[in-house]
Formats: sequence, C-alpha cells, structure tokens
Amino acid sequence: MWLWLVLLLSPIIASIPIAVAWEFNRNIGRKLPVLSVVGLFISFLVTLYILLFVEEGRFSYPWLPGIEIAFIVDYLSKYMGVLTGFIAFVIGVYGLEYMKDDYRLGWYWFFFNLFTASMLMVVYSDNLLSLLIGWEGLGIASWGLIGHWFRDDDELSYVGVINRKVGFLKMFWSPSTGGWRAISTIRLGDMPMFFAVAAIFAFAGNLNISQIDWELLIEKIGSFGVAVLLLAFLMGPFTKSAQLPFSEWLMTAMTGPTTVSALLHSATMVAAGTYLFMRISWYIEPWKIHDAGIEFVYLLVLFLGLISSLYGALVALASRERKVLLAASTMSSLGLMFAAAAASKWIGEFAIVVAFWYLITHAFAKATLFLVAGHLIHETHDRFLCGDLEVAKKMKLTFVVTIIATVMLAGIPPLTAYWVKSAMDEVMHALHEVGEAPLFLLIVISAVYSAFLAKFLSMNFVKGRHVHLHLHGGGLMKTGYTLMVSMLFLLLAVILLGIDEHVEEFVKAGFHATSFMVGVLVTVAYAIGFVKPTLETKVGQVLADRFYLMALNDFIVPKIGWAFVTAVDYGNRAIDFFTHRAIPGLFESVSKGIRVLQTGRLSHYVQLALGALMLLLIVVSVAGW
Amino acid sequence: MISALLAPLIAVIVAPFFKPREAAVLSAVAFFAAFVGLLIDAFTGAYYRVDLVQAAEPVGNIYMFGDTVSHAFGFTIAFVSAMVALYSYPYMAHRFEEMGLGEDEFKKYWFLHNLYAASMLWLVYAGNLILLYVFLEISLVTSFLLIYMYGYGNRQWVALLYFVWTHIAGALALVGFLLIGFENKTLALDSIKTVSFLAWLLVFLGMIIKLPGFGAHIWLPWAHAEAPTPVSALLSPLTVGLAAYVLLRIYFIEPSFIIDHRIPIFAYGVLTSVYAGLAVFKQNDYKRLLAYSTVSQMGYILIAFTLGAAGILGVVIQYISHAFGKSILFMTAGAIIATFHGLRDLNKMSGMHEFVPTISNAALLGFMNLSGILTIGMIGEFYILKGLADTFGLPSAINSIAMATMLSVVIVFIISGLYSFYTMKRIYYGTPADYSKVLVHRLLDSPLYVIAILSILLLLPPFATWFIDALVKFLGVA
Repeated sequence: MWLWLVLLLSPIIASIPIAVAWEFNRNIGRKLPVLSVVGLFISFLVTLYILLFVEEGRFSYPWLPGIEIAFIVDYLSKYMGVLTGFIAFVIGVYGLEYMKDDYRLGWYWFFFNLFTASMLMVVYSDNLLSLLIGWEGLGIASWGLIGHWFRDDDELSYVGVINRKVGFLKMFWSPSTGGWRAISTIRLGDMPMFFAVAAIFAFAGNLNISQIDWELLIEKIGSFGVAVLLLAFLMGPFTKSAQLPFSEWLMTAMTGPTTVSALLHSATMVAAGTYLFMRISWYIEPWKIHDAGIEFVYLLVLFLGLISSLYGALVALASRERKVLLAASTMSSLGLMFAAAAASKWIGEFAIVVAFWYLITHAFAKATLFLVAGHLIHETHDRFLCGDLEVAKKMKLTFVVTIIATVMLAGIPPLTAYWVKSAMDEVMHALHEVGEAPLFLLIVISAVYSAFLAKFLSMNFVKGRHVHLHLHGGGLMKTGYTLMVSMLFLLLAVILLGIDEHVEEFVKAGFHATSFMVGVLVTVAYAIGFVKPTLETKVGQVLADRFYLMALNDFIVPKIGWAFVTAVDYGNRAIDFFTHRAIPGLFESVSKGIRVLQTGRLSHYVQLALGALMLLLIVVSVAGW
Repeated sequence: MISALLAPLIAVIVAPFFKPREAAVLSAVAFFAAFVGLLIDAFTGAYYRVDLVQAAEPVGNIYMFGDTVSHAFGFTIAFVSAMVALYSYPYMAHRFEEMGLGEDEFKKYWFLHNLYAASMLWLVYAGNLILLYVFLEISLVTSFLLIYMYGYGNRQWVALLYFVWTHIAGALALVGFLLIGFENKTLALDSIKTVSFLAWLLVFLGMIIKLPGFGAHIWLPWAHAEAPTPVSALLSPLTVGLAAYVLLRIYFIEPSFIIDHRIPIFAYGVLTSVYAGLAVFKQNDYKRLLAYSTVSQMGYILIAFTLGAAGILGVVIQYISHAFGKSILFMTAGAIIATFHGLRDLNKMSGMHEFVPTISNAALLGFMNLSGILTIGMIGEFYILKGLADTFGLPSAINSIAMATMLSVVIVFIISGLYSFYTMKRIYYGTPADYSKVLVHRLLDSPLYVIAILSILLLLPPFATWFIDALVKFLGVA
C-alpha cells in the first residue's frame, strides 16, 4: 500500500508548499519548484521499481461497498507507468528553466504535479471508478494548465492570428478560451462514460477491468445493450484523445505553456484515452467474442481513428504555427493508435501491442519536439514557424535533436518508428474481413505524416523566414530534450535486440517487402516536405484553418445553446411577472373592490342587504322552488 | 452522541453576550464540536433516541432520534454552520458598517444565526412530524428576519416574498402531516404505518415549493440573492435541501407514491434541473447565478428520488456535496462583495483571479463539487447513475425509456459542468478588470478551504469507506 501512496501522493504533496507559499511570499515560492520536481522524481523511481521488482498482479484496497481502489501491474501498465514517470520528470526539469519567470508558479506546479499523479492513477488502476478519479484529475488539471496564463494579455500565448476573422468565425483563441474549450468538450464525453461505468456496475456487479465478464454481460443485456454501453464508455476516450469531431479543444490547448503541451501530448491526457481503450480491449479480448455489437463498435473505432488521423495529418501539413502543427500531428497519431488497437478484434492481442508501442515511440518523439518548440519560442519570441539556417547554426544541438526526433518518428527505415509502423502495416494488411481501405488510409497518412515532420524541421531551421534570436541560457532545456530524444535510441535497441518478447514480430514485419516499400515512400515524402515545406494555396488555407471545424465549437453549438438559454430567460420573466406582480396585483384590486362597499353608512348597508335578498328570491323563484 | 446536539443550544444562548469576534469563535466551536460528534456517529452508524413528551392523539410520542441518515444531514449542517459562523464575523461587520449600524447589532445577529442553524440541525433529529414542523418554522422565521433586517436591495419586499412562498410550502406540508396524524392516530415517525395518497400529495407539493421545483423555483433567486451572504450560505446549501430530508422520511414509511409516479416525477426533476441550469448562463448577478444553480442541483435530488435504493443513497450524498459546494461558492460571492464594496455584477468582473486568487481557487473547488470532480459529488453522481441503470435498464431497441432517461441525466450533469466552468471563465479568467489587489480578510477565505478539504476527504478512503458503508447498510442498497 505504501508503494502506491508514495507513487500517487509524492508529486501532489511536494507541490503543496509552492502552491501555498506563492500566495503569501513569492521570494520563498521562487525557490520551491525544485521540490515539486523532486516529487516527480520520487514518482518516477517508484514506477521504475514497479517495472523491475514488482511481480505482475493485482493490488486492491477497500473503498466503497463492492468497489475497491485496485491497481494492476501488467504488460501495459508497467511500461506506461515508467513512460509517464520519466516524461513528467524530464519535462519538470525543463520547466524549471522554461517557467522561471512566470507570474503564477504555485498554480503551475500544483496542477502540473496533479496532472502527473492523475495520469499514474489512470495507468495503474484496475477498477473503473478509481480510474475515473484519475481521469477527472486529468480533466481539471488540463483546464488549469491550458488556461494557465489566464490574463489573456500575452500574444505569445494565443492560438491563431490575432484579430483574424473568417466570415462569422473568430480565428484566434486566448488561454482562458482554450481552457474553457477543453473542459467543455471533455465534460461532454465524461458524463456518458460515467454512466457506462455505473451501468457496468449495475449489470456486471464488478468494476475491475481484469475481472469483468464481458460474455456474461452480453448474455444479460444483448448485443445492442453492449454496443450502447461501449459507445457511451468510449465517449470519454474519444473526447480526451480528441477524435473527430471533438478535436478542436486540442488545437487551442496550445494556449498553455509549452511544457504543458509536451506533457499533455505525450504521456498524459490525450494518451489516456487511447491507453484506456487498449487496456479494456486487452481484457475484453474482442477477438474471442463473436457478437455483432462488439464488432460494430470496433469497426467504428477503427474508421473513426483512421479518419481522424488523416484529418490531423492534413491539418498539420498546412499549419503555420509551431505548436498547432504538433498538436494536429498528435491527433493524427492518436487516431492511428485507436485504429491499430481496434484492429485487435480481427487480429488479436498483437494489434494492441503494436498500438501500445506506437504510443511509446510517439510519446518520446512528440515530447522532444514540443520541448524543442518551446525552446525556439523562447529564443525567437515567435510562435509561428520561422527560422533560417542561422538558427540551425546557432542552435546546433537543437537542430540535431529535431532531425533525430523527426526522422525517427516518421518511419524512415531502419529507425525506431519504422519497425512499429511496419507492424502496423501488417496489422492493417491482415484485415481481410474489413477490406483494403484501412491499409490504404494508413499508407496515405504515413506519407503525409512524414512530410509535415520534415516541414517542421525545414521551416524552423532551414527555409523559414529570418528571425532575430535572443539567445540566453537554455542549459536545462537542452538537457531536457536531449534526454528525451535519447530514449528513442533505447527503444530502437529494445526492438532490434529483441529484449521484449512481444516486439520480435516487429522486426520480421520490417523485413517484408511491402513494409519496405512504404518505408521508401515515407522517405520520399520526407524529402519533399523538407524541400517544399509551404502550402500557400487555397486548399492549404482550408487545411490550415482545420476545415473550419471550429464552427462547431464556436458557432453552431453555442448558438443552439443560447437559443435555449434565451427562451428560458423569457420563461423566467413570465413566471416572475405572473407570481410576483400579477397575482399580488389581483389581490390588491379585489381588496380595493371590496373596500368600495365599506362606506360606513347604515342606509347603504340596508340597501345592499335588501338588494341581495331580492336577488336571492328571484333566483329561487326562477329555479322553481 | 446525542449531546452533540446540545452544543449549538449553548451557542444560541451564550453567544450574544460576547464580543462579536469571540462570539464568532464560540459559535463556530459549538457547531464544530457537534459536527465531530455527528461525523463519528455517521461513520459508526450509531442509533439513539430520547423521548421528550407523550402527547395526546393525534400527535403521539414526541421524541428525538438519530440514525445514519440523520447523521449524514446533521454533520453537514453542523459543519457548514460552523464555517459560516467564522465567515460571518468579517462579513457582517462590513455589512453593519455599510448600513450604518453599530457593533451591538451583532447581538441580534448571533442569536438569529445560531438559532437558525440549530433549528435546521434539530430538524433532522426530530422524531415527530409536529416537532419537525416546529423546527421548520423556527428556521423560516429566523431566516426571514435575517433577510428582512440585513438583506440587500428591496429587502423587505424580498423577505415577505420569501415568507409567503415558504409558508405556502409549510402550510401544505402541515395539512399533509395532520392527515397522516388522523389516519394513524399518531405523528411519531416510528408509529406511522400508512400515508394516504392525499397526504403524500400535499407534503410532496409543499416540499416541491420549498425544494424548489420548476415553476415554484421563482422565489429562490430573489431570496438567496438578496439575503446577507452568510445567510445565503445557509439558505441555499442547507435549508432548501431539507425538503429532501422531509420527503426521505415519508418515503421510508411509504415509498409507493414516488414509485407509482416515477416517470412524471423523474421528468419534472429533469425539467427543473435543465431549465435552471440553462438559466444560470444568463445571470449577471453572482448570487442570483448561484441561486439558479441551486435550483438545478435540487433537480438532481428529485431525479434521484425515483431511482430506487441507489438513488436514495444518491439523494443523501447529493445533499452533502451540494451543501459543501454551494456554501463555498456563496462565500466566494460574499468575499468579493465585502472586499470590493458591493461588487456583484458579472459584467464588471473579469480576471478577478488577479486580485483575489484565494477566492478564485476556492470558487474552483466549489464548482468542482457541483460538477462532481474529485469531490464527494462524484460518488453522488455515481450512485444516481447506478440507480438509473438499475431502474430503467439499458437502452435497447425495445427500451426507449432507458435511452431517454439516460440521455436526460447525462445532459443534466453536462450542463452543471458547463455552467460551472463558464462562470469560472467569466468571473475569474480573462483580462483583469480595473481593480487593485487587496488583502482579503483571513476569515473570508480560509473557512472555504476547510469545507473543500472535507469534501475531498469524503471521496477517498478511509472516510468514504466508513461513511458509505454505514449508509449502504442503513439503506439496504444491494
């Protein structure tokens, strides 16, 4: 139990001193970020310990009736845990320098560490409800960090060209808007997911991912029921991992500090969605279940993933902002992860392993690229793609690191991602029951993906416009991304030396002729992207404007919402008028009317009494009594 | 620990004789002591009763008793009251100064405040419906007086409005109670055997006005917005939800009324919650905004009532989580009012985090309670959703009711999350408005964090384990 407490609480506890001190004494506060990073480091050590010394198995502790706080150490969680711990720690170190002069350090470190702890909770949780604690933690921490620069006063923290408009759409977003878009999208997915979790508890009587009996559940609630349940559940991962049409928040999440983007896009948050899908698929074992509902869901995820991936890749290809390009590319990668994991329905466990290894490779490469982007933004004071050879010359290490990260992630043979992508080619190729479309889409995506990675390199170091550099410091930042990128070599070694038994197949796949052909295509695409990095056509503009998908977030949904809100407001006014003006008014006039009769003259009253008596007599006689 | 109920009585009698500051501490200590005792009772599932008077038919035995449900409501009331007592000191000092009243006014204030809080606490331990009604009336009269004397705006009018509405509620419930009394020849909760349809209907209608449900909800934004803020921080989190407590007690005796009319009550709950939740977006007054959010949250309670045993568990937890969240939020609104000289208009607020970061962070914690993020609210939502699945099953080709109910509850929860963070953005984020950074009185912010900490603790073991176990045992949830 202590192991888990230390793992989850050390980052949080270590960040409390700075969170409190920042409100009272900033001089003390400025000295405390190191403590937060120490907390992250302790967590990292624990994840390492779990990887090396803790046997696979479950660890559970009582929580609510019938629901435990349960952790599991298995193939997925032990690697994912170390990945999270390591990346968070390295980005933490980088952040010591990157965020040095920030005006809100207490907030930053608290939420950064909460973010990490939440992700670790998601990674190791076996129980869906305890997982949801971490899941909600991710949501709230991402809101806090994306909107970190809440004053909206720094052009560098915006996304889009300030004051640009297309039709009725404002094409720029402030940090506070970015935070709002993130949390509002995420809530949309989390609530159906929450319902699905409660329903699983109601029908299966168990929330432990490794123990839920899905076949029994299908028997109980039928194919349609399972499909509804799974889709409701997957709304959480879809929104968190920014699949279509929930992708806009991820693009404007770039309003947060770059360290946050790096963490958010590699090992936490967006990865949480795909990771969770892999984790439940690992135990649902859909390849063993023959059920129309399950098949439908996995088919949907497969194509949603591929289409989102293509969308992301195209947007990245035309994007003009450093971080937005990387954000769109993350979306593309997430789509591939979903698709590959969904292919497990037909291929088996191997497809999940492929998706998982792609997640790991992508995490290190993407974290590196974000850290590089952060450093570049720091030195150029510009968030758009810019920089010519002078940048490459003056920032040699950064340049080299970028080359390594891009070529390794693109899937150029024989580098790290090549082997993983080859395995993915093989998986998609083997989807005979689904047809040729997945493989075809994957190849197109791979080529576009490679091209925009080359574009990122080219536009920042070689062919971008000339910029003025403000070189100063940068030691810790360089250490950060150098460490990060070196992990890609480690992965390459693991794959080639066959250290992990699951990845031997990768190498075999890499030697297939088709895989190699794809590898060549990707290399050519990289070369083209490098030589001709810009796409300044009308089509390019549409791509760069993300197919105007923001209309959904910024126009259509709000308009519908406000129509309802306005109607409700009129309703309230009407009820208010009726109860607080009309009814009291009625009482008043009745009371006035009655008081008219009260004149105080006896003769008047006698007349009234006689009149009433006459009336009564007439009524009685008419009634015939 | 029935003696825990006596501590607030001491505060009611003694506090007015102390200086305002000491009186605040004394009241807080008294209620906090009660809270600790009742929290332990809640964890251990203690049961006790004390007979007071054996009255004639149809009143019957008048007694006080405590079971797990009483403790759950009881510790919440005691805890929030303790924190509000501390908060009252700087806030009311500011208010009296604003109204040109002297420090002596505190004597009246402490008496009314403590009596108001204590009557709510005692209400959930009342073993006879007449006794319960008496406590209900005491809480109404004291809160009416507090609004009448120290409220904002057109306070006399608002106080009267509050008085009339809640008395319609009270009178309907009273007639319902009396019918129960005539039917059973007693009003003692342990001896009532049946509740006729008419009696149930009257109590239900009364409590719908008090809760409030859609239509009747219109009084609440007036009263809760114009009350002095510490009173709002008791009214909104504690008082209105007591309607749920009353309904729960009747439900334990005779649940058929709710079960037979499950669908309309459920639909009414959804309508209330969605309608009020949407209204939140349009408000420009911080306290009015929070008041509408209260209506929306009370809709949760109506919904949860129809969802079987898990739903009833949801009702109890929802009361607690809303009480914690809303008391924090009303106190943040008050802190801004006190610090920026009556600032309540959202159009004049922007980037307020810049000036009052501790208040802004507290507001975040409050909204996290409302949207069920990392606080006890999460457990409440979970059981409501579980009750939903238990009751209506899963959506399927032949079960369109399940689809409709699922979607509506999901929408209800989403709206809460959306207005929470929309409001955070409007008030605390964005380009800072033209104010300067000020020092917030420590008692205006620290009590808020104490509440938030308890709310988080109640989500996690061991507190959650003890508490939910005891509740589940008591309610017999499968």
